[in-house]
Amino acid sequence: MLDPDRDDFPTAFNLARREVLLGTLLVGGVAAFGTLPPASAQASWSDESAARFMEISSLLIPHHLNEAIGKRIGSLMSALNPSLSDHVTGLLAIAKAKNAKVVEDFFPDVPEGPLKETALSIISAWYLGVVSDAPDAEVFAYEYALMYQPTRDVMTIPSYAVSGPNGWTANAPPLGDMPEF
Amino acid sequence: MASDSSADVVIVGTGVVGCLVAESALDAGLSVLMLEAGPRVDRWRIVENYRNLPPSLRLFHWDAPYPPKPWAPHLETRRDKESEQYLQLEGPNARAYLQGYVRYAGGATWHWAGLCWRLTPEDMRLKSLYGVGRDWPFDHDALEPYYTAAEYAIGVCGPSDPALQWPPNAKRSKPYPMGPIPFGPGEQRLTEVAAKIGLSNLPAPQARNSGVSYHGRPPCCGNNNCFPVCPIAAKYDAATALPKIEAKGGKILANAVVYRIETGEKNSIEAVHYFDPEKNSHRITASTFVIACNGIETPKLLLLSKDERNPNGVANSSDQVGRNMMDQPKLTADLELKEPLWTGVGPVQSSSILNTTQGEFRSRYAGAMFRMENFARSPLGAAAALKKGLVGKALDAEIRRLSACTARLSVEHEPLPLPQNRLTLSDKKDWLGINKPNIYYDVGDYVRQSAKEYTVPLLQKLANELGATSFQLSSEFLNSDHIMGGCIMGSDPATAVVDADCRAHDHDNLFLPGGGAMPSGTASNSTLTMAALALKAADAITAQLKHG
Amino acid sequence: MGNSRHSIGWLLVWFAGTVAAGLSHAADSPDQTAALIDRGKYLAMAADCGACHTAPRRETFAGGLPISTPLGIIYSTNITPSADFGIGRYTEEQFSRALRRGVRRDGAHLYPAMPYTSYAKFTDDDVRALYVYFTQAVRPVDHSAPQTELPFPMNIRLSMMGWNLLFLDAAAFVPDQHQQAEWNRGAYLVQGAAHCSTCHTPRGFLMQEKTSRALSGAQVGPWYAPNITSDPISGIGSWTKDDLAAYLRSGHLPRKAQAAGSMGEAVAKSFQHLTPSDIDAIATYVKSVPAIHDPSDNGSRFAAGEPFSELATLRGRDGITSGEDDPAGAELFQGNCASCHSAEGQGSKDGYYPSLFQNSATGAKNATNLIAAILFGVDRTISGRQAFMPGFGGHPTDANALSNEDIAELGNYVLTHYGSAGTTITEEQVAEVRRGGPVSPLLRLARGGMAAAVIVLLGIVFVVVKRRRPVSS
Repeated sequence: MLDPDRDDFPTAFNLARREVLLGTLLVGGVAAFGTLPPASAQASWSDESAARFMEISSLLIPHHLNEAIGKRIGSLMSALNPSLSDHVTGLLAIAKAKNAKVVEDFFPDVPEGPLKETALSIISAWYLGVVSDAPDAEVFAYEYALMYQPTRDVMTIPSYAVSGPNGWTANAPPLGDMPEF
Repeated sequence: MASDSSADVVIVGTGVVGCLVAESALDAGLSVLMLEAGPRVDRWRIVENYRNLPPSLRLFHWDAPYPPKPWAPHLETRRDKESEQYLQLEGPNARAYLQGYVRYAGGATWHWAGLCWRLTPEDMRLKSLYGVGRDWPFDHDALEPYYTAAEYAIGVCGPSDPALQWPPNAKRSKPYPMGPIPFGPGEQRLTEVAAKIGLSNLPAPQARNSGVSYHGRPPCCGNNNCFPVCPIAAKYDAATALPKIEAKGGKILANAVVYRIETGEKNSIEAVHYFDPEKNSHRITASTFVIACNGIETPKLLLLSKDERNPNGVANSSDQVGRNMMDQPKLTADLELKEPLWTGVGPVQSSSILNTTQGEFRSRYAGAMFRMENFARSPLGAAAALKKGLVGKALDAEIRRLSACTARLSVEHEPLPLPQNRLTLSDKKDWLGINKPNIYYDVGDYVRQSAKEYTVPLLQKLANELGATSFQLSSEFLNSDHIMGGCIMGSDPATAVVDADCRAHDHDNLFLPGGGAMPSGTASNSTLTMAALALKAADAITAQLKHG
Repeated sequence: MGNSRHSIGWLLVWFAGTVAAGLSHAADSPDQTAALIDRGKYLAMAADCGACHTAPRRETFAGGLPISTPLGIIYSTNITPSADFGIGRYTEEQFSRALRRGVRRDGAHLYPAMPYTSYAKFTDDDVRALYVYFTQAVRPVDHSAPQTELPFPMNIRLSMMGWNLLFLDAAAFVPDQHQQAEWNRGAYLVQGAAHCSTCHTPRGFLMQEKTSRALSGAQVGPWYAPNITSDPISGIGSWTKDDLAAYLRSGHLPRKAQAAGSMGEAVAKSFQHLTPSDIDAIATYVKSVPAIHDPSDNGSRFAAGEPFSELATLRGRDGITSGEDDPAGAELFQGNCASCHSAEGQGSKDGYYPSLFQNSATGAKNATNLIAAILFGVDRTISGRQAFMPGFGGHPTDANALSNEDIAELGNYVLTHYGSAGTTITEEQVAEVRRGGPVSPLLRLARGGMAAAVIVLLGIVFVVVKRRRPVSS
């Protein structure tokens, strides 16, 4: 189990633990990803697939999404999960059937199982900027990772200035506020 | 003038201690050559490394943006095989000595928090006052001028109001070079809440430029990633001292791993030997040698250097080299709160509770420092919210709530110098064939009793006062990265490695300033004290070399 | 007899008048003296005497500042009223000659690094106030500043006499009757005390200001003082008068410009202390300066660029390393600049760190100021608040030094995405800025010219001597 208290401790320092960890580490609970997708699989992620991936991503996530990042996520995920394209098709169909504009419109209709796992993985990827938790996971977003946005009115994205020198205060906006993004 | 193989003063290690000694010696007109095991790196590269890390490694894995060179290993996260681990740890609290220093030019201050607390007068007299531990061989008044000099040398900001200063009962000879850094919402709230239960959360004096530039470095703009690296060098780290040392004529050799100290007749130090990355050996001579490569590497090097004259290792007639290994064993409490305690505004640590470090109880159990961690909790909140399978507006709201309404409190206990907490040479060798350090560590009953009777109940009390709805204590003691004790200071050569100037009792041209010399660990961050000891040693070195 | 008595009478009257005038100077009441001192102090600040004559870590007005010019280093002099090391022995007349004609008390000429060509505009009354201030209110400092030794033949100060004959307009300021009082006040300050043209007006081959191209931009050491004429593309024609006033008072104008180098210093030491009406006057005058358009400018330097980053493709790609050769501009930008200027170059929310687009430092076709800002940073303190950017290697003690190659790479990235996309900078350009700016060919040519003259002279002597040899009989 990944122990957040273990400062600087390798997340997997022996073989037996490694297998266990891989099963639990994965974002959104999708079945076992390896860490290095084969190059050929990445190459087969076409512009058309990328466009559909962006479409379902926008439906799942009501925020501004960067296309170049979407291309990276899509090709990474499809290399690890060959059914991704089918899942995207399935999810788009459900969304269209509900005439969905936002995720809440159609998400309850997504059945438990691989389809839902993929949907949650896509959402996680956009928020965290990685597709898996492994220490050598490819990072495709940090500044654009959505996880920093819901608190952007208070917390800085680490390594970026929050204001000019000593320009911050102890005042905080209400918890109920939500920044636009 | 220093050459590539000789100087008046040769300094092993380019951390804060080595760099302060170097500048002081250069200012006094001595020539200086510094040897650094690891590489020189550009700050921007480390910043980008940090941003390229996966989220699981951006927090708590402070060495992760510093991939070590094979010849200068340090703790790493990304290694798969246990056999490749550098630090060999054993004992009931091995986990608490998992020290995250960096073997790069600039040393561990690359990723230190920057807090600059001074010891109290009582902290230096544990034996006399409380019957535990050791006394320092001089008092607070003797150290005060060096604290002041260190604060101006590295640029420390702090409050001018004596009511907010620490120690509360010792006068400062000069004000802080810069005024305090403002609190963010979380620290402000903690201060107010803690006060209700008699805990005083003080603005920390910190080696961070506050509002103005200092020594050509910009002021803090709240990047909030002091660990693992200050992107703009607003926080002092010893890497910023290197160009200044070179501008003053000091020479710095990077990727030079010292593996042996050579003694000569009369048991004075003749030379040090180092390996370069091609595994070629080089011999460096000097009038005076300073070993300042941190509290693990320095005793390791002394033990490695045993010879006929010094069968237990250089400077080790007392058998205390590598013993009394100390750090502040840390416990953390992760809380869920009803009301927000916003983190991520300003430095990652900007305040501490210290009135809990002092008192008569220290005859029975350890004093301890409490604080909240101020790193941005947004990635933690997001990971937790995502795990719940939420989507859309509910996801965003939960990310915000979990980011704001969770907190981590830390408590760091003062250790006692226990001889059984010992660094020895492991049989395992590193890439250069040098023995890895093996450390046995047991936090001791002094600390365990404190946790049981004092600090954990107080943590719970503070958590309740903050309105915590859940409280998760760490399962074991953790490291605080303040490595102390391995070259302990004292006036008696039979029981101490160095004297009051951090000069080795056994060799009058060998100095071992730094955390390793500290006879008491106390509960507060050790760096400013190490810096003061560096300047004190530098004075002694200069006096010795110029006046004999 | 009668006539001589008349003449003697007039002579006496004249003499008495002169003595009376002299006496009246000497007999200023304390209030009048105090008022003169105040006025002199204000004028000294408007003329920014301290910018040159007060060096870091030296006493006020005691000189010693090394000023790098294309011809070599010129040290500012001690202008405190020290008798042996400063101006303690100067009469008002001698003070005026130094200030307005560039001639020292001992008769030697000053180099026009001392902007006497501008200060020539000072009125007699203002010179008087300055004299009283400097000789009565400034503390004397009794040690000398380093001597200036320009390379031969520039060290021959007498050559300045000829230069002055050609280029010094010794006339005092004459108000323009067709203009308002505010404009005239502005003209007086800009042409005189504030000596804007000494930086902002391009110079000819002999280092003289080209008055026909007044305020259209010039190199000042490692920085470039831009075109501040009223041209809407090449100059500040797009600014309102209030914009300019705000810039002069605070040193920055959001989404337009910020003052660094000598201008930052000028704002900090001089402009921020001027009265609001004087600032308005300066702004009024400057806004009226005839437009000078640079035909190669296709856009205003204030309007270039937009938010941008390569992060979508860059993030994660350059990995975790301890160093690399030849980093790309994007990597250098993200690692060195974005921490303050934000990931897309938009600056901090409170505007303290300016955006890098819509910023003249990046939008100018001449990228000198971008290079200089990266090398030397920015440091100005206005109204007690410091605006600071660290330098990246302009000083050997800089914590984060970048090489010429890296700065060229980084600079080109910034120019392409945030500023003047058509401008490219080279390593050599960076090296030149790092050295302190371009060197004037004048020195080399003067020496070459002199050498040529000597050779010709020797040649003539040789021929003459040869001709004079007696023919053997």
